[in-house]
Amino acid sequence: MARLIRTEKEIEGRYTEQWILVEEDTLDQWPAGPLDEVGRPASRIDGRQRATGDARYTADVQLPGILHAAVLRSPHARARVARLDLQPAREAPGVRGALGPLAEEANYHGQAIAAVAADTIAQAQAAVELIDVDWEPLEPLLDPDEAVRQGALVSQRESERGDVERGFEEADVVVEAEYRTQTVLHNSMETHQAVTDWETDDRLTVYISTQAIWEVREAIAEHYGLPPDHVRVVCRFMGGGFGAKNGPGDYTYIAADLARETGRPVKCALTRREENLDSGNRNATIQRLRAGARADGTLTALEGEFVNATGWDGWLSSTGGPMEMLYACENVRIVERGAKLNTAPMKAFRAPGFVEGTFGLECLMDELAARLDLDPLELRQRNHSDDDAVDGRPFSSKKLVECYRRAQPHWERRDEVRARSEGPWRHGIGMASQIWYGGGGPPSYAWVRVGADARAAVLTAMQDIGTGTATAMAQIAAEELGLPLDRIDVSLGDSARGPYAVTSAGSSTVPSMGPAVRAAAADAAHQILEIAAQRFDVELRVLSLQGGRIVSADGGSWPLEEITGLLESGQILGKGSRGPNPAGMRILTFGVQVAEVSVDVETGEVRVGRVVAIHDVGRVINPLGASSQVEGGIIQGLGHTLSEERLLDPRSGGVLTQTLDSYRMPTIADMPEIVTDLVDAPDEHLTNLGSKGLGEPPIVPTAAAIANAIRDATGADVRSLPITRDEMLRALREARERTPERVGAPAA
Amino acid sequence: MRHANAHPNALELLRPESIEAASSSLGDGSVALAGGTEVVPQLRDGILEAERLVQLDDVVPRGIDERRIGAGTRLTELEASGEVPAVLREACRLSASPQLRAMGTIGGNLLQATRCWYWRLHYPCRLHGGERCFAREGVHREHAIFGNGFCASAHPSDPAAALLALGTTLRTNRRELPIAELYRLPTENDRSTTTLENGEIILELEYEQPLASTYLKAMDRQSWSFALVGVAAARFESGTRIGLAGVAPIPWPLDAPAALERATPLPQTAYKVEIATALVRRALEAIA
Repeated sequence: MARLIRTEKEIEGRYTEQWILVEEDTLDQWPAGPLDEVGRPASRIDGRQRATGDARYTADVQLPGILHAAVLRSPHARARVARLDLQPAREAPGVRGALGPLAEEANYHGQAIAAVAADTIAQAQAAVELIDVDWEPLEPLLDPDEAVRQGALVSQRESERGDVERGFEEADVVVEAEYRTQTVLHNSMETHQAVTDWETDDRLTVYISTQAIWEVREAIAEHYGLPPDHVRVVCRFMGGGFGAKNGPGDYTYIAADLARETGRPVKCALTRREENLDSGNRNATIQRLRAGARADGTLTALEGEFVNATGWDGWLSSTGGPMEMLYACENVRIVERGAKLNTAPMKAFRAPGFVEGTFGLECLMDELAARLDLDPLELRQRNHSDDDAVDGRPFSSKKLVECYRRAQPHWERRDEVRARSEGPWRHGIGMASQIWYGGGGPPSYAWVRVGADARAAVLTAMQDIGTGTATAMAQIAAEELGLPLDRIDVSLGDSARGPYAVTSAGSSTVPSMGPAVRAAAADAAHQILEIAAQRFDVELRVLSLQGGRIVSADGGSWPLEEITGLLESGQILGKGSRGPNPAGMRILTFGVQVAEVSVDVETGEVRVGRVVAIHDVGRVINPLGASSQVEGGIIQGLGHTLSEERLLDPRSGGVLTQTLDSYRMPTIADMPEIVTDLVDAPDEHLTNLGSKGLGEPPIVPTAAAIANAIRDATGADVRSLPITRDEMLRALREARERTPERVGAPAA
Repeated sequence: MRHANAHPNALELLRPESIEAASSSLGDGSVALAGGTEVVPQLRDGILEAERLVQLDDVVPRGIDERRIGAGTRLTELEASGEVPAVLREACRLSASPQLRAMGTIGGNLLQATRCWYWRLHYPCRLHGGERCFAREGVHREHAIFGNGFCASAHPSDPAAALLALGTTLRTNRRELPIAELYRLPTENDRSTTTLENGEIILELEYEQPLASTYLKAMDRQSWSFALVGVAAARFESGTRIGLAGVAPIPWPLDAPAALERATPLPQTAYKVEIATALVRRALEAIA
């Protein structure tokens, strides 16, 4: 039965109270462990398409008469547009339309100010150069601390539980440190882009690289005053999003406005350089942290002041979240401030806030362990929180203790690894815990269609951000229908084909969509069995679907086609929806990573040899897809830790790293051995699947685990990301001045 | 800061059949093209402006003949050659990416421009003829520790450092010269970093055979990254020569390890002296 409930909905740690239509989730969970399809490694159902180039991305969309848009972007971090003349651009060869000025004042380097549509992209780019602009440059605000002093804030949040001052008074040991994280970019393989096509005056089709086709539909419909059903949003395949593609972005409006002006479809695709200027980022942070503990390691107080370099726009990602949530501590005070700067707006980036905050908190915990002379793993276990640390709610499930148990053998190699240090190369092991959301929620819907040929199609207007969720959905439908995986098709990525589905953000796709797909498949299966019961004159309750057959408990067995084949072109249609989340419970994901590093103390080179990733995300649908997710998260985390940084000229605010040779993402040669170990225990309170999301958890603890391993190897406190050679050598110098015997002087 | 070429399709490609024809067609809007790994991006970014490209493939020698290397030889060929000394092989292997090494020629590699982001992004810096060194006042962690008084840029070529250590002589269509004389520090009156004249084309390189040699490179990741510090060292009967990459606006010969004490690092590049000190010591140990 459908119910309308008012409940909190969470995406990436942002809770909103809203009305949600839910249907009861009446299916029992499957037993734990591998089943016929679910829980077994499956290669991607669309892997061949992707590998051969048959997969059509937004970049591949070609429509008759299509025009290409190029964008004039501000070369200044802050400037007034005193005058802008599009006429020279309009008169250039091939130009069909132009827009601008899009703003009276540019507030960051790369902000879109005007745009041109032409027959070819080269013509459009050449025409953009002809736009006549008078800029009046203004002094940009670039320093986050200065912005806080001036009160230039995007937003701020303060929270306190217990009595922090008393907590610090009760502490035997207090540690205090400042941590900094840098601005990093998503740099998806497919840049942000959209193709817009006005079918009529009031019907628009948008092909777009997005992880949120329904949010794009909503935003576009509102912007142009259209009925939402007149906006069709298509994203069949996408080359990465990582949080940066949760909405339409100005490029979509530019394309749609130019399409309306010219009466032709328009593509607006960011170049790699534009992608590095204005497509979102993980904002830099400054974290001033303090922790107090008793001699036995019990935390008595935690305090954090966080400054997020949010940029000109964006939201306050919760950098303080891990400090509030990870450990049982009665007294916690958090102040988060988002500095409004003349820099490009941040966007969500794979566990926004928590990646940054976990770096600070988990490094601080190791510094605390050193002061207390306690084993860092032991310190974490002693402060384990059995219930939600914020409000005492029970967890729907939490297997962090099991993660710690599984980490033990890797952790115990510490002495042996450290003893391998030779010459300038020092070896060490570090760890960090992970906490993050990932429970998903309603609403989300799916249909399952079974045809005469006994093949099934999953229809839902979700998108596969590139993580293989389509394959996971096929496995779930196959399991419920008793069909082999190769008899399942998945149709997704089109708001006009299939029902509403959740955005692919906040590690929510599998936990939101999986239960809906299972419910739809179960509905279809039930209908098939009802027909079979009538046709074969057996009792419904003895029938089931197995291996592509209808099987009766009393011995009968018929190929599925014997029933579905009767339908000819007719079909069986099952419908399913995501049930509610368990009331009064906190749904989170947990984990721990153990990193092994080598540091050349003379040249500052850091090599990560091995990362063991142990995570609790409930039931694992596809172990192969899951290990790929973990590997991807750690690779991205490694770049964040060691080499990636968007650099600004400190005077002008101009972005210096606009290409992939200066913005340094790791290469395959930088990869450590990655060991994935998922607890794979269904969350018994969560939906008919017991699965949580895995998109974000693997990147959360990586930086802290590596930094702690560096401390273990060298005694140097690296408190600033990225740990490039200069930062590593600086930290080593500082440590040498402090404790000469531990670090050792270079041989020279 | 963008200056896209307004007529990207209007480029003419010339394929001269003699070195004389190639030489006389250079200049006045014509730019030499070999592997294209540097010229093409510079054209695309509007750093280099050209009406014609003069393809040198048919006129510049390619291949390795004992101690002589054709300037058109690809880095991949040097990297895989059993004949060339380890220092050059390693310098090639640690350069760029496999794709770039398969295209890029050794002659072109010697002439590549700095990766200084200010220069690459058209800031009106001294190297572009302007009045200021933006790097010195701004972000310069990848920049020079020697010869940086006028311009703080760092020269990116690994092979150039190796060829310096190997005492290489270059033959152009006009002269023979030691590789060190190919380079000059930019000055107020002349902002160029090479002494190559208009119409002059590097044809061949001839190195001295060392008794032992090595190349060590510090970079931000394990592959496809320019040298923060590259150290080339080669030992001969007559003594040892050291060449450095990534530490000065031009490939930098180091007379002796002690010369590192005369480095003039900027605030963000002091660490490079530390790295260079360690790598020079290691290189000398490796070839001792």
